[in-house]
Amino acid sequence: MATTDSSISNSDSLRRAAIDRSVKGPVLFLFANAAMWLLASTVMGLIASIKLVSPDFLNYDWLWFLNYSRLQPAHMAALVYGWAMQAGLGVAVWLLARRSGQALSGGAGTMLVAGIFWNVGVTLGVIGILSGAGTALQWLEFPSFVWPVLLIPYLVIAVNMIVHYNRANRQQGFHLTSWYLLAALLCFPWIFLTGNLVLNCFAAATPIGAIGAGVNAWYVSATIMLFFAPLGLGVCYYFIPKITGQPVYSYQLAQIGFWGLIILGGWSGFQKYMGGPVPSWTAAVGGMATILLLVPAGIVALNHHLTTSGKHSLIETSPTLRFIFVGSASFLVTSGIAALISNFWTGTNFQFTYAEYGYHLAAVYAFFSMTMFGAIYYITPRLAGCEWLSARLIRNHFWFSVYGITALVACMVIGGLAQGQSQNNPDNWNQPFIGSVINARGYLVGRALAWAFILWSNFWFFTHLVFMVLGLGRRSVAPTLLVHDHHDERPAAVPAPTHPPASATA
Amino acid sequence: MTGSRKFLFGLAGAFGVPWLLLVIIPVIKAQKLTPEAYDKDRDGIEGVYPSTSIDRQGQLVYISEGCAQCHTQMIRPSFVGILDGWKKGWGSDQSDQPKHAVRPSKWEDYMGEPVAPLGIQRNGPDLANYGYRAPKERAAIHLKLYAPRASKTNAWSMMPSYRHLYKVKAIEGNGSSHALEFPEDMAKELKPKKGFEVVPTPAAEQLVDYLLSLKKDAPVPGEVVAEDAK
Repeated sequence: MATTDSSISNSDSLRRAAIDRSVKGPVLFLFANAAMWLLASTVMGLIASIKLVSPDFLNYDWLWFLNYSRLQPAHMAALVYGWAMQAGLGVAVWLLARRSGQALSGGAGTMLVAGIFWNVGVTLGVIGILSGAGTALQWLEFPSFVWPVLLIPYLVIAVNMIVHYNRANRQQGFHLTSWYLLAALLCFPWIFLTGNLVLNCFAAATPIGAIGAGVNAWYVSATIMLFFAPLGLGVCYYFIPKITGQPVYSYQLAQIGFWGLIILGGWSGFQKYMGGPVPSWTAAVGGMATILLLVPAGIVALNHHLTTSGKHSLIETSPTLRFIFVGSASFLVTSGIAALISNFWTGTNFQFTYAEYGYHLAAVYAFFSMTMFGAIYYITPRLAGCEWLSARLIRNHFWFSVYGITALVACMVIGGLAQGQSQNNPDNWNQPFIGSVINARGYLVGRALAWAFILWSNFWFFTHLVFMVLGLGRRSVAPTLLVHDHHDERPAAVPAPTHPPASATA
Repeated sequence: MTGSRKFLFGLAGAFGVPWLLLVIIPVIKAQKLTPEAYDKDRDGIEGVYPSTSIDRQGQLVYISEGCAQCHTQMIRPSFVGILDGWKKGWGSDQSDQPKHAVRPSKWEDYMGEPVAPLGIQRNGPDLANYGYRAPKERAAIHLKLYAPRASKTNAWSMMPSYRHLYKVKAIEGNGSSHALEFPEDMAKELKPKKGFEVVPTPAAEQLVDYLLSLKKDAPVPGEVVAEDAK
């Protein structure tokens, strides 16, 4: 199982430092750029949300490209490819290097160049969507020439790390974290290539009509279930034992949870168009798989909870554990929302409403991003050679993110229900569409406010991270823990408090 | 090492089966769809199904503007609380109380479209059969695209304005015959200045062509009789 920090021998820490040094460049580059895209996506999400309430906001002639219909896909694409995947790749590089137990012999420079090209791809894509070259395929909105610019850098980074891990790790057998990470890294190119070849290349030559929309929904679902979920859960399985110093509670449960996710993940997706022009069995299977996914999600959540058990006080002090704890809990919530909107009993009022946006944000933000934040708070000081500047900034980031994303997901799911119920209400048969617009408006105000909260938190996260990447952090051997407001006077070498400090709940 | 091989085979199998069954086979089947002729004795009409086709040029405008973010093109079957089929104006029957529910969309309806923009959300009305309920004059559709909240009756609309698909130019002579006409109660700042008129660009004309071509409830061969018996 994962080694704990309490048993460091000198040679161990030297080896770790060498591993960290060998991946420093690409990982910090990916983190900094990911945070930049997160900020950009948050700004776009905020403007798009305001436009839903007040369509004339920023509605100037020269801002013609900021229509909701272009801003919303650009916002989601920046969130998914700019932030989430990029941060995920950075964390995966570091984790696989650490898991392999060996410093990279080379390839860091290549991965850095690949990282640059990934960002070039995302930039081209976002500009492409805004300027009207988008494909209108959900999560594949980037202009159709962009996907190779994303796939090749991805493969360079992923193959490099998988080969390194495989070479170094021949004798040790598989580790839970590595299983999850490798599953994510291997599945995504398959999903991405399938989505793009079918929808961008194949369909242009031989039309596939409505099935194309189904494949698109499958792509989104598979990316969540077979890339974001395993990567985020792998990160949880690494850091929870590491920080609590306790082994994973049950290896058997973990295995069931892993294979359950992998086996079911690929089946979901088509239920987005249930009752529509896709073969009805595909939607039925998708809905069933999504409901069955509650089982592995519950198993994983239980395992994480039992692993943390007895050490919950560490959540107060460790920024990493705090974010990861929220992320891990959110996976269960995400699965619950997915099950709710994916079947014919409860999903009829959720289909085609804001609830789907709420589900995507629960998956990409409340679950995945939170685990990434946790990992970044752990990894960056080890690579940058300095400690986080301010516990207050971390706390600020944590609380505004948690409040923001909770409000956002709740508003979108409940608002989606209000919207869908109004559309399906027999009283509105002969009405124009006004009912569902008015019913959901209050929740859209909530959505805009929540994005404003998240913008505030991410602005400080970005600033803080940039200081760290530039090596301008605190010079100290003690990590920045969330115990004191003024850590500068009293370096945080105190043991974990037995009761929550007042400042942490502010 | 057996551990890693087991892992790889397990992964490939677990993901490969749904990949093959959900994506590859349906895609191959979908591209083999061909129009089907109606049987005059059975269906009572002649011709082929689907009888309508969409305007592809306009669909490209629809795609690049991202209309599918808020508009679906899919009628769901009328059961378990779904009323798409009974909505006023969502099918060819435009009366207040349609006699029959609009039939749910089938994948044959989207034959020939590279990837059908079925839609991401339904923040605006479904457009599967918009061609039937579109206003008689093209100018009215243009006005909706140019200024969605043009009159007081649709001030609640949250649709973005697609003004960038239109040109404001000085009136020459009697003015263009395509120029938009604006309602009396429209806000002054939305109207062009005196001596100027608003004309659609070719992209706007194509988009309207596409919207008018959306008629996805053609009778299905072999199902017409059953539909009437309801």
